[in-house]
Amino acid sequence: MVRRWFTGRTIIPLLFLAPAIIALLIFVYLPVVENFYYSLFRWSAIDPTLRFVGLENYRRLLSDPIVLRSVINNVLYAVISVAFQVYLALVLAAILESGVISRRLAAFFRSALFLPSVLAITVIGVTWKLMYSPEIGVINQVLRAIGLGSLARPWLGLENTAIYAIIGVSQWQWTGYMMILFIVAIQAIPRELFESATIDGANRIQQFFHITVPSVRETTLVNLAVTVIGAFKVFDIVWVMTGGGPNHASEVLGNYMYRVGFRNDEMGYASAVAALIFVITFILTFIQLRIGRTGKEA
Amino acid sequence: MSSIRERAREPLSEKTTRVLVIVLFSILVVIAIYPIIWLVINSFKSNVELFTNSMGLPKTLRWANYERAWRFGIARYMVNSVVVTAATTFLVALLSTMAAYALSRFRFRGQGVLLYIVLGGLMLAPEVSLIPLFRILVVLRIYNTYFAMILPIMAFGIPFTTFLIRAYMLGLPKDFEEAAVIDGANALGIFRHVIVPLSRPIIASAALLQAMHVWNEFMFSLTFIESDRLKTLPIGIMAFSSTLDTNWPVVIAGLVMTAVPMIVLFLLTQRAFIRGLTAGGVKG
Amino acid sequence: MRVPKGIRWFAVGLLSLALLAGCSGGSGSGSKAGETITLRFFHKWPEPDHMAYYNAVIQKWEKEHPNIKIEMEAVSDEAYKDKIRVLMAGNNVPDIYFSWAGEFAWKFARAGQALDLTDAFMNSDWKDAVVNSAVQPYVWDGKVYGIPMRINGKFMVYNKKVFNDLGLQPPKTWDEFLEVCETIKQAGIVPIAFGNEFPWAASHYVGDLNAKLVPPEVRQADYLLEADPETLFTDPGYVEALRRFKELNDKGYFNEGPNAIGHDMARSNFLVGNTAMIYVELEEFVTVHEEMGDENVGFFRLPSNPGDRGDPNVLTGAPDGFMIYSKTPHPEEAIAFLKFLVSEENGKEYVRQLGIPSAAVGAVTEETSFPLLEAGLQEVDKASGMALWLDTDINIKVIEVYLPGLQAVLTGSKTPEQVMQEVRDQALKVQQELKAGS
Repeated sequence: MVRRWFTGRTIIPLLFLAPAIIALLIFVYLPVVENFYYSLFRWSAIDPTLRFVGLENYRRLLSDPIVLRSVINNVLYAVISVAFQVYLALVLAAILESGVISRRLAAFFRSALFLPSVLAITVIGVTWKLMYSPEIGVINQVLRAIGLGSLARPWLGLENTAIYAIIGVSQWQWTGYMMILFIVAIQAIPRELFESATIDGANRIQQFFHITVPSVRETTLVNLAVTVIGAFKVFDIVWVMTGGGPNHASEVLGNYMYRVGFRNDEMGYASAVAALIFVITFILTFIQLRIGRTGKEA
Repeated sequence: MSSIRERAREPLSEKTTRVLVIVLFSILVVIAIYPIIWLVINSFKSNVELFTNSMGLPKTLRWANYERAWRFGIARYMVNSVVVTAATTFLVALLSTMAAYALSRFRFRGQGVLLYIVLGGLMLAPEVSLIPLFRILVVLRIYNTYFAMILPIMAFGIPFTTFLIRAYMLGLPKDFEEAAVIDGANALGIFRHVIVPLSRPIIASAALLQAMHVWNEFMFSLTFIESDRLKTLPIGIMAFSSTLDTNWPVVIAGLVMTAVPMIVLFLLTQRAFIRGLTAGGVKG
Repeated sequence: MRVPKGIRWFAVGLLSLALLAGCSGGSGSGSKAGETITLRFFHKWPEPDHMAYYNAVIQKWEKEHPNIKIEMEAVSDEAYKDKIRVLMAGNNVPDIYFSWAGEFAWKFARAGQALDLTDAFMNSDWKDAVVNSAVQPYVWDGKVYGIPMRINGKFMVYNKKVFNDLGLQPPKTWDEFLEVCETIKQAGIVPIAFGNEFPWAASHYVGDLNAKLVPPEVRQADYLLEADPETLFTDPGYVEALRRFKELNDKGYFNEGPNAIGHDMARSNFLVGNTAMIYVELEEFVTVHEEMGDENVGFFRLPSNPGDRGDPNVLTGAPDGFMIYSKTPHPEEAIAFLKFLVSEENGKEYVRQLGIPSAAVGAVTEETSFPLLEAGLQEVDKASGMALWLDTDINIKVIEVYLPGLQAVLTGSKTPEQVMQEVRDQALKVQQELKAGS
């Protein structure tokens, strides 16, 4: 066995690993540790003297209604994103790969739906702000044109619709992309499985649940993890579209952290919010790795 | 797949299914593409036209809007984005492939720990590092330089990329390696001539995923760059749209100009992307 | 190889390019005396016409002072609020940086980030070159910490055609104002364009109302968080101010969905004639002047009712100016540049090119400005005092409760009483923090 030949020459793999490890230590791990340290102080960007306050920032975190609002929004984000970017994407991918429509047409649809994900986030944010605009926006105009004018409203300006409007844009951006990832996974399934199932009399829907879904399990898990964790890390799209408003209705943890640190002059508290993000994403990743482990380490 | 003769023999239900599917996807495509079309149409209007008739066609084609947007900075932002994306993607691919190699084709002491260190990065959200990273960059004197974006983004991209490539490498057969060893190759030689070529598909798709992530990166680019001449597209566009706010069609022209290259690039490379994945990705 | 060879070399090339560019990207200001000095100059006006003006000023300066180079950066209004803090957090403060007047500037002074300019300003001819009343908001603890660059006031601009068609006159009291709005609304026109996506827009309204409804000394004490804790932010005038603001929205005098529109978009709406009025700053007069023409617009100050307990002659507005980093390695040169910037000669150019009133004495003349602007400035002079922008006049932690509260009042999710209670609670907390010396 080849591997046996290299046992003992530990230095070689370490050399290959070194650059990555060093980069991670300096730019990822060290800051995380420092962040916890900073969260024990009160300090501001303008006046950087550190004042030790112990766990006060965390106490405040637990009673801050905006933090609660943000977490709720992050959860909403995760749930809706999973529905679209995992389940819907998988179904769409399966349909496109099922042979119902011609290969060329499927390829066209695939590319067209993928398009939104290549756009820069600010392009998307600014464009959709215009789409949602009460005056010149397309959404309201279309609603009025088809007689649903009563539904027309300032989507980004109302507290009960703002976050949903943003989440909607995120689905627009990523569903096609996730669909492609599933398509790749589905294409790896041997055709014979489907053919023999058809011969046995299984229809498409049965084939989907009994062949497709189990076969792409790994991809599904990865996509699930990426989507959920992404929902808790989200910052850019909210910052560009509403800045967290109106009145914190669309606030998310990433947004709040940035604002608290770089607008409210409370860096220590911002570090505590960041620590909360860390804990949540850590737990989620851990769960995902555990579930994914069965069957991964083959 | 189905040939014309087969299709002719299809039952009616098959035809209806196809029609339904096409209708469904066509609607989705319209939803996906319409905003871009709206942008293009409105980029040619004057400010007044935009406010009084946003859904209609422009009266004339105001190319001046584009000229103004280009002059005002789109060119510079795009160059910055390309530089940062290319450099970061290259570094991530390089470091991750090397790390994946070490973690999949060897057995050595401490391997488990190091694997966790690399994969542990997956659990970390960049927000958590923002403020301390800022301080670190200033200390290292690379704040407000290209490196201020390249290095942190690269570091955060390593865990996932390594994860992907390693999983793939684990499934590679050992025969080629064994043959290479018999021929006298050392680890580096095996890496260059055996493992990497075999892993090309996954490296390509991982690199593409990473490139898209870097292109879209917002938070680090926002915080770590101060000078306008270094801003990447996402940040530059934001600055752009708030300074030219009295002339929305020019802003929209700017948006179109930033969207078009990526769309063209995607249309050109998607075939290579898909081909690479299907050709190399199938096991066995 | 793993990627096509061509791409690899391309990437390596780019990497080297990045290396070169990366090393030269940042710059420190300063070198030994006698060699070239670089001053970093940071402001919030990246618009092309403003940048053109500043570039011209810098060119003139560098011609006269070849050994002092100016490196300029600018980000937009909203981004500036974060950026300047990011820079301070990284100990990377520009030598000359923009600051809003009032609390925004004072917090820099308190933290020791601003250079004391009292000596340089008061004991030279500089103090005669700048409009002194505009310097007041940059004074802290008796010392001058910033120099104003331009003057601003907020007015309600109206479309003359609409008013004439409906036989309306500029209102003199708040009740008359409501009547005017009602008439316009009945005629099927949106009375006031209002974009509150960034809630500073609402804070300008409420700031003005506060000044007119709350006795001046009470308001000052509250804003500075110096009032007695028993009475901090308890004056009923604050709630009345919110109520009046809310009334404008509830009666449909604002356009639909103000929280979803930016101020600039609202302004565009006014300029194309879709609305009758809009509340804008003096610096925006030039846009109105260019897009609509002076003859087609008029303006008035937001009025108050005779029984209101505040100061009816206060005008909402504030100067905008610059401060110098206290630890700059080149204080002399920085002061010299700032003096050059706010001088009559450059002030005149400012007015001429940008149509915005400069704080330099003698800058606004018939020759450099336009009638609308001069009329506006006259109103500024007539005012008994300036109420500074609400969102930069109170401690940021209180503002971060007050401003979202304004958005909530507009959507109806909170009542004026609730918002003021929250403001009071937060103000008390901050007051205690400040007393505890933290």
